[in-house]
Formats: sequence, structure tokens, C-alpha cells
Amino acid sequence: MEFVNEFRVPVPINQAWEVLTDVERVVPAIPGAQLLSVDGDNFTGTVKVKVGPITMQYKGNASFEDKDSSAHRAVIRADGKETRGQGNASAVVTAELKDEGETTSCVLTTDLTISGKAAQFGRGILSDVATKLIGQFAERLEADLVAPPSSETPTESPRTLSAAPQSESGASLDLLGVVALPIAKRVLPVAGALAAGLAIGYLLGRRR
Amino acid sequence: MKAASFDYHRPESVDGATRMLAELGEDAKILAGGQSLVPMLALRLAFFDHLVDISQLDELKGIERRGDDVWIGAATTDAVIGDDEQISSAVPLLTRATPFVGHFQIRSRGTLGGSIAHADPAGEYPAVALALGASVEAVSPGGRRTIPATEFFTGVWETALEPGEVLTGVRFPVWTGRRGFAVQEFARRHGDFAIAGTVVAVALDSHDRVSRCGIGLLGLGSTPRRASKAEAAVVGRSVADLTGDDIGELAMSDLDDIPSDLQGSASYRSRVGAVLVARAWAEAIEEATTEATNA
Repeated sequence: MEFVNEFRVPVPINQAWEVLTDVERVVPAIPGAQLLSVDGDNFTGTVKVKVGPITMQYKGNASFEDKDSSAHRAVIRADGKETRGQGNASAVVTAELKDEGETTSCVLTTDLTISGKAAQFGRGILSDVATKLIGQFAERLEADLVAPPSSETPTESPRTLSAAPQSESGASLDLLGVVALPIAKRVLPVAGALAAGLAIGYLLGRRR
Repeated sequence: MKAASFDYHRPESVDGATRMLAELGEDAKILAGGQSLVPMLALRLAFFDHLVDISQLDELKGIERRGDDVWIGAATTDAVIGDDEQISSAVPLLTRATPFVGHFQIRSRGTLGGSIAHADPAGEYPAVALALGASVEAVSPGGRRTIPATEFFTGVWETALEPGEVLTGVRFPVWTGRRGFAVQEFARRHGDFAIAGTVVAVALDSHDRVSRCGIGLLGLGSTPRRASKAEAAVVGRSVADLTGDDIGELAMSDLDDIPSDLQGSASYRSRVGAVLVARAWAEAIEEATTEATNA
């Protein structure tokens, strides 16, 4: 199944590209994600996602299948396995950045394959989870970007895209670095796991 | 399948439960009737090291008239709610929704608070709480608070409850005057999660104009939903000027995350939902215009 999510970061496209393709900077911004190892364009990590009573932890690896810095388009392939349970998920995420001047929009197109019981579960819940995760990711990313370099606390300002002063964003970029591509990769397996869980819960959980 | 091992705790009071939850942190989960949680544990979708059973706490049980509301304790079972005469006269929508909750055995153990806190998108009680404008009471070591049902359901199985907070009861406003209520649900088999469903509450003034309307939708989003647009469109208008079909269409018009799965596509669910709302509307209006004023 395929779904599309979009978010914006308050930096120009070249900066955004740099940050979003830098796995070590992006991963910390992904909710529940931890980077275990990086080997060139291949990386491994874990993602923990909670949806109601269900906690899914996925461990997997991902790699860039394509990284076109002139078109600002990257394709990541990710495979995840549940650390507790039998769920599997794999995803191909295509991230495309669009230049919007002071801000950059990132469109993530995810083609998700889930096997086993998860397959019975619906697209609605999956995309809901993915959207939520990507939303959180974007918020964290943005908060880091917008926060003054010295401040430890993320700013509350929800949509301060244009308000972020260039000079400061340069400094906070490191923090910012947190996110883009890995997220996509993370989100997918996670979402898959969640979805699977949900689906199963749905089917078996309560009513039979 | 069997659940992974966990420690079972049965605190003596709600205070004890909240203290315990604060101590155990995120590895602990509240257990009420267990009709959703236990299967999830058995299927190993959910893992918790500790279960804190609140189902036996008397302070969480009961049905009381409190001012303009009926308060129902969180650990009150569905079966008790379905049989209660006070509820059937003051909050008939709850009584009518109850038979749709799973099966008899499930209703004998399942609780109101569990159903609300679990927040299944296809849950009946959450939809009733939304339609009637109920409020949810919760307690934590930080104190008590009341959360309007409209702000309670935040995502699939996600609610406004904080970790460690215990849902203690739900207050359902008693609708008075010329009122009508109806539940319509469609599932492949009775007791399955609804493919789509609706609960409708309507009150009329003496000129047959709609004075109040609540439409709850289930199975039609990532949370139970309220058809706010349709509700707003009918209030103040004369019943004779309204058609169920229009209201059904309107009720579907602001939904943006209808599930699509093996049980039915989003467009199918939306068509079923519109028909069900139209039927429930007709039923509720019929009752409001024919029945004697009560409550």
C-alpha cells in the first residue's frame, strides 16, 4: 500500500537536503528511533512506537537506493523485523524536496509491504499512524531549527517557519539535523508494525 | 496463544492504583474488564510487565443521578448498564447501544470505563459519549480533572488520559423534553467491529424544530467521530424541512480518515454510513414526535 505525507522545514532547500540525507543528524528527531550503526549509505537502527496499549519495537536496516542531490530526490529502502513478535515490514520511501525559498517542503511517498497478520489490517490506521509520526518528526525538527542555538528547550512556536532567522538557524542546524530521510525509513516499518498490531487487534482482539 | 508473563496487582483503592501506576511507570497497564487488553496480550500485540486490576474497586462502580447528569462508575459493566432502569429512562441511548457491544459474555466483563479508555474507533460507548456531550472524569496523583468527550479521543486507541491517570467515571447529560434516540450499526456478523455505525440523539421544541442534536459515528475514522457539520445544519430547523438522506450525506462530508480495509473500502463505508445516519435520524425523529415527554 502506498501513502503520501508532506512536511516543511524552515530552512532553504540545500540546507534541508544536507540535513535530511545525514542519517546521524536525522535519526534523533524521529520519535522513538535509535541509530545503531552506519556504514556508508547503509544503516541499522531500532524504532519503538506506541499506539494505545500496543508497543512495537522494530529493528531493521535501511539503505539509500538513490540519492540525487541535483533533483533533491532520495529513495530509501528499509526492512524491519519486530524485536518482540513475528511482524515484518518493508518499505520503499521516496523523499522529494521542493524549494519554497526560505522553507523547504518534503514529500514522502511510501510504498509499504507488510506480511503475515499485519496484512489484514487496514490502510486507514496505518496511514493515521504514519501521519502522526511524521507530524511529530516534523515538529521536533522544526523546534530544533527554530530554537536559539544555546537554548536547551525547544521553542513552543508551532508554525514559525518564516520567523526563523537565517543566522540562528545556521547554528541550530546541528540540532535540526535530526531528521528527514531516516524518518521515512523508520516511520514505515514502525507504521507497518503498528498497523499489523492494530489489524490483529481489530480482527481478533475483542469480539470473537 | 498465551500472553507473555506479567505481574498481576490488585490495589485496594483508586489512590493505591494511581500510586502503583506512578511507581511502575510505562511497563504497567490498567486492567479493567480485559475484553480488549487480554486478547491483545494473548496475541502478543501488547506487552506489559505489570497489570493493575481496578475492576474490583467498589468506588469505581455505580450509577447515580448527579444534577443534570447521570454518573456511571468506570468499572460498571456493560451488562449492568444495559439492564439499568434509571439509565434506560434518563440516558436511553446507552441502553440501546449496549446490545451492539460484542456479545453477552463480553458485556458481562467489559466495563464502560474500559471501553472509553480503550477508545476503539468502532466502539459504541465512545460514540454515545460524543453524541450526548458526556464528560470523562480521571484521577492521578496530581489530582482530579474532567475532560469533555469531544476532547478525549485523540487517535487510534489514543486518548487525552496521561500515563498513570485512571478513568474513574463518565457523566452523561440527561436530555429532557421531546427527544428521540437511535442506534444503527452494520457489521458482517453481530458483535464484530462495525463496518460503520451511528448513534443519534435529537431533541425538539414545541414547534417541531430541532433544539439539540448529537450524531456520533463509529468505524468511520481513526477515532469515534462526531458529525458536527450535520448537527449544526439541523439545529433550529423544522423537522419537516429536513430529510434523513441529506443529513446522512452531510454527516459523511467532513470525514477525512475513513478506514479502508478488507472489511470495506472507505467509499463503501461512507455510503453505508450515510444510509445508517438517515435511518437512525428517521427513527429518532419518529420517537421524538410521537412519545410523551419524559425524564
